[in-house]
Amino acid sequence: MVEEISDFEALEIAVRELAIEKGLFTAEDHRRFTEFAEHIGPTPAARMVAKAWLDPAYKQQCLTDAIAASKAVGVDWLNPTGFGTPSDYTDLRVLEDTPTVHHVVVCTLCSCYPRPILGFQPEWYRTPNYRRRLVRWPRQVLAEFGLSLPAEVEIRVEDSNQKCRFIVMPVRPAGTEGWNEDQLTEIVTRDCLIGVALPKPGVTSNIEMPMHHAKNPAHH
Amino acid sequence: MTESGNINASGDGGGNWVPVPLLEKIKEEGRVWAELASDYGVTNPDPPWKTSLDGMCEALAAGSCSSVAAAEKKWLAGSVDRGSMDAPLPLLERRWEEDELSETLYQDVPFPERQLLSLVHSLIKRGLVKEEDLIARMKLVHERLSAT
Repeated sequence: MVEEISDFEALEIAVRELAIEKGLFTAEDHRRFTEFAEHIGPTPAARMVAKAWLDPAYKQQCLTDAIAASKAVGVDWLNPTGFGTPSDYTDLRVLEDTPTVHHVVVCTLCSCYPRPILGFQPEWYRTPNYRRRLVRWPRQVLAEFGLSLPAEVEIRVEDSNQKCRFIVMPVRPAGTEGWNEDQLTEIVTRDCLIGVALPKPGVTSNIEMPMHHAKNPAHH
Repeated sequence: MTESGNINASGDGGGNWVPVPLLEKIKEEGRVWAELASDYGVTNPDPPWKTSLDGMCEALAAGSCSSVAAAEKKWLAGSVDRGSMDAPLPLLERRWEEDELSETLYQDVPFPERQLLSLVHSLIKRGLVKEEDLIARMKLVHERLSAT
Protein backbone atom coordinates (compact mmCIF):
# COMPACT_ATOMS: atom_id res chain seq x y z
CA MET A 1 0.00 0.00 0.00
CA VAL A 2 1.26 3.47 -0.86
CA GLU A 3 1.08 5.57 2.31
CA GLU A 4 1.82 8.87 0.65
CA ILE A 5 -0.51 11.40 -0.92
CA SER A 6 0.97 12.64 -4.15
CA ASP A 7 0.17 16.03 -5.65
CA PHE A 8 -1.34 14.19 -8.61
CA GLU A 9 -3.75 12.33 -6.35
CA ALA A 10 -4.70 15.55 -4.57
CA LEU A 11 -5.13 17.32 -7.90
CA GLU A 12 -7.49 14.63 -9.19
CA ILE A 13 -9.66 14.86 -6.09
CA ALA A 14 -9.59 18.68 -6.03
CA VAL A 15 -10.58 19.16 -9.66
CA ARG A 16 -13.31 16.54 -9.38
CA GLU A 17 -14.81 18.19 -6.30
CA LEU A 18 -14.76 21.63 -7.91
CA ALA A 19 -16.29 20.29 -11.13
CA ILE A 20 -19.16 18.73 -9.17
CA GLU A 21 -19.69 21.92 -7.17
CA LYS A 22 -19.82 23.93 -10.39
CA GLY A 23 -22.35 21.54 -11.88
CA LEU A 24 -20.14 20.31 -14.73
CA PHE A 25 -21.33 16.81 -13.86
CA THR A 26 -23.02 15.17 -10.92
CA ALA A 27 -21.38 13.06 -8.26
CA GLU A 28 -23.76 10.26 -9.20
CA ASP A 29 -22.75 10.33 -12.87
CA HIS A 30 -19.09 10.34 -11.90
CA ARG A 31 -19.57 7.36 -9.61
CA ARG A 32 -21.34 5.39 -12.34
CA PHE A 33 -18.76 6.17 -15.00
CA THR A 34 -15.96 5.27 -12.60
CA GLU A 35 -17.60 1.94 -11.80
CA PHE A 36 -17.88 1.31 -15.54
CA ALA A 37 -14.17 2.12 -15.93
CA GLU A 38 -13.29 -0.28 -13.13
CA HIS A 39 -15.05 -3.34 -14.48
CA ILE A 40 -14.25 -3.27 -18.21
CA GLY A 41 -11.36 -5.18 -19.72
CA PRO A 42 -10.37 -7.34 -22.71
CA THR A 43 -11.81 -10.65 -21.51
CA PRO A 44 -15.25 -10.39 -23.20
CA ALA A 45 -13.68 -9.73 -26.60
CA ALA A 46 -11.18 -12.56 -26.09
CA ARG A 47 -13.97 -14.92 -25.15
CA MET A 48 -15.97 -13.84 -28.18
CA VAL A 49 -13.12 -14.86 -30.47
CA ALA A 50 -12.54 -18.12 -28.61
CA LYS A 51 -16.22 -19.04 -28.86
CA ALA A 52 -16.21 -18.19 -32.55
CA TRP A 53 -13.22 -20.47 -33.14
CA LEU A 54 -15.18 -23.33 -31.58
CA ASP A 55 -18.66 -22.63 -32.94
CA PRO A 56 -19.12 -21.87 -36.67
CA ALA A 57 -22.68 -20.59 -36.16
CA TYR A 58 -21.54 -18.16 -33.46
CA LYS A 59 -18.65 -17.10 -35.66
CA GLN A 60 -21.10 -16.24 -38.41
CA GLN A 61 -23.13 -14.18 -35.95
CA CYS A 62 -19.98 -12.32 -34.87
CA LEU A 63 -19.25 -11.42 -38.48
CA THR A 64 -22.78 -10.40 -39.41
CA ASP A 65 -24.17 -9.00 -36.14
CA ALA A 66 -21.43 -8.39 -33.60
CA ILE A 67 -23.77 -6.41 -31.36
CA ALA A 68 -26.01 -9.46 -30.91
CA ALA A 69 -22.98 -11.72 -30.56
CA SER A 70 -21.52 -9.53 -27.81
CA LYS A 71 -24.49 -10.35 -25.57
CA ALA A 72 -23.25 -13.95 -25.40
CA VAL A 73 -20.13 -12.67 -23.61
CA GLY A 74 -22.04 -10.41 -21.25
CA VAL A 75 -21.78 -7.08 -23.08
CA ASP A 76 -24.81 -5.00 -23.98
CA TRP A 77 -23.10 -2.96 -26.67
CA LEU A 78 -25.86 -0.40 -27.16
CA ASN A 79 -26.21 0.28 -23.45
CA PRO A 80 -22.91 -0.80 -21.90
CA THR A 81 -23.06 1.29 -18.74
CA GLY A 82 -26.72 0.57 -18.11
CA PHE A 83 -27.47 4.28 -17.73
CA GLY A 84 -26.27 5.98 -20.90
CA THR A 85 -22.87 6.87 -22.25
CA PRO A 86 -21.44 9.85 -24.11
CA SER A 87 -19.53 7.70 -26.51
CA ASP A 88 -22.39 6.69 -28.75
CA TYR A 89 -21.60 3.01 -29.10
CA THR A 90 -23.81 2.35 -32.10
CA ASP A 91 -21.84 -0.16 -34.12
CA LEU A 92 -19.37 -2.95 -33.48
CA ARG A 93 -17.72 -4.98 -36.19
CA VAL A 94 -15.52 -8.05 -36.05
CA LEU A 95 -12.77 -8.16 -38.67
CA GLU A 96 -11.94 -11.71 -39.68
CA ASP A 97 -8.34 -12.45 -40.51
CA THR A 98 -7.48 -15.15 -43.03
CA PRO A 99 -4.13 -16.73 -43.91
CA THR A 100 -3.69 -14.01 -46.53
CA VAL A 101 -5.42 -10.97 -44.97
CA HIS A 102 -4.51 -9.34 -41.66
CA HIS A 103 -6.45 -6.51 -40.01
CA VAL A 104 -5.22 -3.88 -37.58
CA VAL A 105 -7.24 -1.16 -35.86
CA VAL A 106 -6.48 2.51 -35.27
CA CYS A 107 -8.33 5.74 -34.59
CA THR A 108 -6.62 8.41 -36.64
CA LEU A 109 -8.81 11.18 -35.21
CA CYS A 110 -8.39 10.60 -31.46
CA SER A 111 -8.47 7.25 -29.66
CA CYS A 112 -11.87 5.63 -30.34
CA TYR A 113 -11.77 2.08 -29.02
CA PRO A 114 -14.32 -0.66 -28.25
CA ARG A 115 -14.12 -0.04 -24.52
CA PRO A 116 -17.23 -1.96 -23.38
CA ILE A 117 -15.77 -5.18 -24.75
CA LEU A 118 -12.00 -4.50 -24.71
CA GLY A 119 -11.38 -2.13 -21.79
CA PHE A 120 -9.28 1.02 -21.93
CA GLN A 121 -6.78 1.75 -24.64
CA PRO A 122 -3.11 1.08 -24.07
CA GLU A 123 -1.07 4.25 -23.91
CA TRP A 124 0.54 3.73 -27.32
CA TYR A 125 -2.87 3.46 -29.02
CA ARG A 126 -3.63 7.03 -27.92
CA THR A 127 -0.45 8.54 -29.30
CA PRO A 128 -0.29 10.58 -32.52
CA ASN A 129 2.84 8.63 -33.32
CA TYR A 130 0.97 5.31 -33.67
CA ARG A 131 -2.11 6.91 -35.22
CA ARG A 132 -0.22 8.73 -37.94
CA ARG A 133 2.36 6.13 -38.81
CA LEU A 134 0.18 3.02 -38.87
CA VAL A 135 -1.81 4.22 -41.85
CA ARG A 136 1.34 5.17 -43.74
CA TRP A 137 3.58 2.24 -42.91
CA PRO A 138 1.40 -0.54 -41.47
CA ARG A 139 3.83 -3.33 -42.24
CA GLN A 140 6.74 -1.52 -40.63
CA VAL A 141 4.77 -0.44 -37.58
CA LEU A 142 3.53 -3.99 -37.03
CA ALA A 143 7.13 -5.17 -37.25
CA GLU A 144 7.97 -2.74 -34.44
CA PHE A 145 5.46 -4.67 -32.34
CA GLY A 146 7.28 -7.87 -33.24
CA LEU A 147 4.74 -8.89 -35.86
CA SER A 148 6.54 -9.41 -39.15
CA LEU A 149 4.08 -10.57 -41.77
CA PRO A 150 5.10 -12.20 -45.06
CA ALA A 151 4.84 -9.94 -48.11
CA GLU A 152 2.02 -12.04 -49.52
CA VAL A 153 -0.20 -11.22 -46.52
CA GLU A 154 -2.33 -8.17 -47.25
CA ILE A 155 -2.66 -5.72 -44.37
CA ARG A 156 -5.91 -3.80 -43.94
CA VAL A 157 -5.98 -0.85 -41.52
CA GLU A 158 -9.41 -0.09 -40.14
CA ASP A 159 -10.04 3.44 -38.85
CA SER A 160 -12.37 3.63 -35.85
CA ASN A 161 -14.72 6.52 -35.25
CA GLN A 162 -17.19 7.67 -32.66
CA LYS A 163 -19.97 5.49 -34.02
CA CYS A 164 -18.17 2.38 -35.21
CA ARG A 165 -15.60 0.33 -33.31
CA PHE A 166 -13.72 -2.81 -34.34
CA ILE A 167 -12.05 -5.90 -32.95
CA VAL A 168 -9.90 -8.31 -34.92
CA MET A 169 -10.65 -12.03 -35.07
CA PRO A 170 -7.28 -13.68 -35.73
CA VAL A 171 -6.82 -17.04 -37.35
CA ARG A 172 -6.83 -19.80 -34.73
CA PRO A 173 -3.21 -20.79 -34.30
CA ALA A 174 -1.77 -24.25 -34.79
CA GLY A 175 -1.06 -26.12 -31.61
CA THR A 176 -4.44 -25.38 -30.04
CA GLU A 177 -6.25 -28.47 -31.28
CA GLY A 178 -8.54 -29.87 -28.61
CA TRP A 179 -8.36 -26.73 -26.46
CA ASN A 180 -11.48 -25.57 -24.67
CA GLU A 181 -12.94 -22.06 -24.62
CA ASP A 182 -11.12 -20.98 -21.46
CA GLN A 183 -7.77 -22.11 -22.81
CA LEU A 184 -8.34 -20.31 -26.11
CA THR A 185 -9.54 -17.15 -24.37
CA GLU A 186 -6.24 -16.87 -22.51
CA ILE A 187 -4.15 -16.53 -25.67
CA VAL A 188 -6.40 -13.95 -27.36
CA THR A 189 -4.65 -10.95 -25.87
CA ARG A 190 -5.60 -7.29 -26.11
CA ASP A 191 -2.85 -6.83 -28.69
CA CYS A 192 -4.28 -9.66 -30.83
CA LEU A 193 -7.71 -8.02 -30.73
CA ILE A 194 -6.26 -4.70 -31.93
CA GLY A 195 -4.24 -6.55 -34.56
CA VAL A 196 -0.68 -5.76 -33.49
CA ALA A 197 -0.03 -9.37 -32.46
CA LEU A 198 -1.09 -12.88 -33.38
CA PRO A 199 -2.25 -15.46 -30.84
CA LYS A 200 0.30 -18.06 -29.92
CA PRO A 201 0.14 -20.96 -27.47
CA GLY A 202 1.94 -19.95 -24.30
CA VAL A 203 1.70 -16.20 -24.90
CA THR A 204 -0.88 -14.51 -22.67
CA SER A 205 0.58 -11.02 -22.16
CA ASN A 206 0.85 -7.87 -24.22
CA ILE A 207 3.93 -6.11 -25.47
CA GLU A 208 5.36 -3.05 -23.71
CA MET A 209 5.95 -0.39 -26.32
CA PRO A 210 8.33 2.55 -25.85
CA MET A 211 6.62 5.89 -26.42
CA HIS A 212 7.79 8.16 -29.21
CA HIS A 213 6.67 11.69 -29.79
CA ALA A 214 5.27 12.81 -33.12
CA LYS A 215 6.50 16.05 -34.65
CA ASN A 216 2.96 17.32 -35.07
CA PRO A 217 -0.26 16.28 -33.39
CA ALA A 218 -2.51 14.03 -35.47
CA HIS A 219 -5.11 16.62 -36.38
CA HIS A 220 -2.63 19.06 -37.94
CA MET B 1 -9.99 31.99 -23.70
CA THR B 2 -9.72 32.29 -19.94
CA GLU B 3 -12.10 34.08 -17.66
CA SER B 4 -9.68 37.00 -17.58
CA GLY B 5 -9.99 37.27 -21.33
CA ASN B 6 -6.31 36.58 -21.90
CA ILE B 7 -6.24 34.04 -24.71
CA ASN B 8 -2.56 33.29 -24.14
CA ALA B 9 -2.92 32.58 -20.45
CA SER B 10 -3.04 28.85 -21.02
CA GLY B 11 -3.08 28.17 -24.75
CA ASP B 12 -4.77 29.34 -27.92
CA GLY B 13 -5.55 25.96 -29.40
CA GLY B 14 -2.86 26.39 -32.01
CA GLY B 15 -0.09 24.72 -30.10
CA ASN B 16 1.11 27.85 -28.31
CA TRP B 17 0.53 26.56 -24.83
CA VAL B 18 1.47 28.79 -21.95
CA PRO B 19 2.32 27.09 -18.67
CA VAL B 20 -0.07 27.21 -15.73
CA PRO B 21 2.06 27.84 -12.61
CA LEU B 22 0.21 25.34 -10.40
CA LEU B 23 0.48 22.59 -12.99
CA GLU B 24 4.13 23.38 -13.63
CA LYS B 25 4.83 23.03 -9.92
CA ILE B 26 3.06 19.67 -9.81
CA LYS B 27 4.89 18.59 -12.93
CA GLU B 28 8.23 19.44 -11.36
CA GLU B 29 7.64 18.32 -7.79
CA GLY B 30 4.81 15.77 -7.89
CA ARG B 31 5.76 12.14 -7.42
CA VAL B 32 4.44 10.00 -10.24
CA TRP B 33 2.90 6.58 -9.73
CA ALA B 34 5.89 4.68 -11.12
CA GLU B 35 8.09 6.17 -8.38
CA LEU B 36 5.58 5.63 -5.60
CA ALA B 37 4.81 2.07 -6.67
CA SER B 38 8.52 1.28 -6.76
CA ASP B 39 9.21 2.87 -3.37
CA TYR B 40 6.32 1.09 -1.66
CA GLY B 41 6.66 -2.23 -3.48
CA VAL B 42 3.26 -1.98 -5.14
CA THR B 43 2.68 -3.78 -8.43
CA ASN B 44 -0.50 -2.09 -9.69
CA PRO B 45 0.32 -0.68 -13.12
CA ASP B 46 -1.98 2.32 -12.67
CA PRO B 47 -2.49 4.72 -9.77
CA PRO B 48 -5.71 4.22 -7.81
CA TRP B 49 -7.09 7.53 -9.07
CA LYS B 50 -6.87 6.45 -12.75
CA THR B 51 -10.41 5.05 -13.01
CA SER B 52 -11.78 8.14 -11.28
CA LEU B 53 -9.96 10.26 -13.86
CA ASP B 54 -11.50 8.15 -16.63
CA GLY B 55 -14.89 8.55 -15.02
CA MET B 56 -14.39 12.31 -14.88
CA CYS B 57 -13.48 12.50 -18.57
CA GLU B 58 -16.58 10.50 -19.48
CA ALA B 59 -18.78 12.62 -17.23
CA LEU B 60 -17.40 15.85 -18.66
CA ALA B 61 -18.05 14.67 -22.20
CA ALA B 62 -21.60 13.79 -21.27
CA GLY B 63 -22.40 16.63 -18.94
CA SER B 64 -24.81 15.26 -16.43
CA CYS B 65 -26.68 12.48 -18.22
CA SER B 66 -29.86 13.51 -16.48
CA SER B 67 -29.39 17.20 -17.29
CA VAL B 68 -28.51 16.42 -20.91
CA ALA B 69 -31.62 14.29 -21.22
CA ALA B 70 -33.71 17.10 -19.75
CA ALA B 71 -32.11 19.63 -22.12
CA GLU B 72 -32.78 17.32 -25.04
CA LYS B 73 -36.48 17.18 -24.19
CA LYS B 74 -36.62 20.97 -24.04
CA TRP B 75 -34.73 21.22 -27.32
CA LEU B 76 -37.11 18.80 -29.02
CA ALA B 77 -39.99 20.87 -27.66
CA GLY B 78 -38.39 23.96 -29.14
CA SER B 79 -37.97 25.80 -25.83
CA VAL B 80 -34.15 25.89 -25.81
CA ASP B 81 -31.51 26.09 -28.54
CA ARG B 82 -29.17 23.26 -29.46
CA GLY B 83 -26.21 24.88 -27.70
CA SER B 84 -27.69 24.26 -24.27
CA MET B 85 -27.09 20.53 -24.80
CA ASP B 86 -23.38 20.88 -25.39
CA ALA B 87 -21.02 19.09 -23.04
CA PRO B 88 -18.84 21.37 -20.89
CA LEU B 89 -15.72 19.80 -22.38
CA PRO B 90 -16.42 17.88 -25.61
CA LEU B 91 -14.50 14.65 -25.96
CA LEU B 92 -12.78 15.49 -29.22
CA GLU B 93 -11.60 18.89 -28.02
CA ARG B 94 -10.21 17.35 -24.85
CA ARG B 95 -8.37 14.64 -26.76
CA TRP B 96 -6.88 17.04 -29.28
CA GLU B 97 -5.70 19.34 -26.52
CA GLU B 98 -4.28 16.36 -24.68
CA ASP B 99 -2.40 15.44 -27.86
CA GLU B 100 -0.94 18.94 -28.11
CA LEU B 101 -0.08 19.26 -24.43
CA SER B 102 1.45 15.77 -24.43
CA GLU B 103 3.80 16.87 -27.19
CA THR B 104 4.67 20.20 -25.57
CA LEU B 105 4.31 21.21 -21.91
CA TYR B 106 3.83 17.72 -20.51
CA GLN B 107 5.92 15.64 -22.87
CA ASP B 108 8.22 14.44 -20.09
CA VAL B 109 5.39 13.49 -17.75
CA PRO B 110 4.38 9.80 -17.80
CA PHE B 111 0.85 8.54 -18.46
CA PRO B 112 -1.70 8.85 -16.83
CA GLU B 113 -0.27 11.83 -14.88
CA ARG B 114 0.07 13.55 -18.27
CA GLN B 115 -3.59 12.90 -19.01
CA LEU B 116 -4.59 14.46 -15.69
CA LEU B 117 -2.46 17.58 -16.18
CA SER B 118 -3.82 18.00 -19.71
CA LEU B 119 -7.42 17.67 -18.55
CA VAL B 120 -6.95 20.28 -15.82
CA HIS B 121 -5.16 22.56 -18.26
CA SER B 122 -8.14 22.34 -20.63
CA LEU B 123 -10.57 23.13 -17.80
CA ILE B 124 -8.54 26.15 -16.68
CA LYS B 125 -8.23 27.33 -20.26
CA ARG B 126 -12.02 27.44 -20.57
CA GLY B 127 -12.52 29.09 -17.20
CA LEU B 128 -14.46 26.04 -16.02
CA VAL B 129 -12.10 25.77 -13.04
CA LYS B 130 -9.94 28.56 -11.60
CA GLU B 131 -6.32 27.98 -10.75
CA GLU B 132 -6.62 29.76 -7.39
CA ASP B 133 -9.60 27.59 -6.44
CA LEU B 134 -7.59 24.49 -7.28
CA ILE B 135 -4.67 25.63 -5.14
CA ALA B 136 -6.96 26.21 -2.17
CA ARG B 137 -8.82 22.92 -2.66
CA MET B 138 -5.64 20.90 -3.02
CA LYS B 139 -4.46 22.27 0.30
CA LEU B 140 -7.71 21.18 1.90
CA VAL B 141 -7.51 17.75 0.27
CA HIS B 142 -3.97 17.24 1.53
CA GLU B 143 -5.02 18.23 5.06
CA ARG B 144 -8.08 16.01 4.92
CA LEU B 145 -6.26 12.94 3.67
CA SER B 146 -3.40 13.43 6.12
CA ALA B 147 -5.65 13.85 9.15
CA THR B 148 -5.57 11.05 11.68
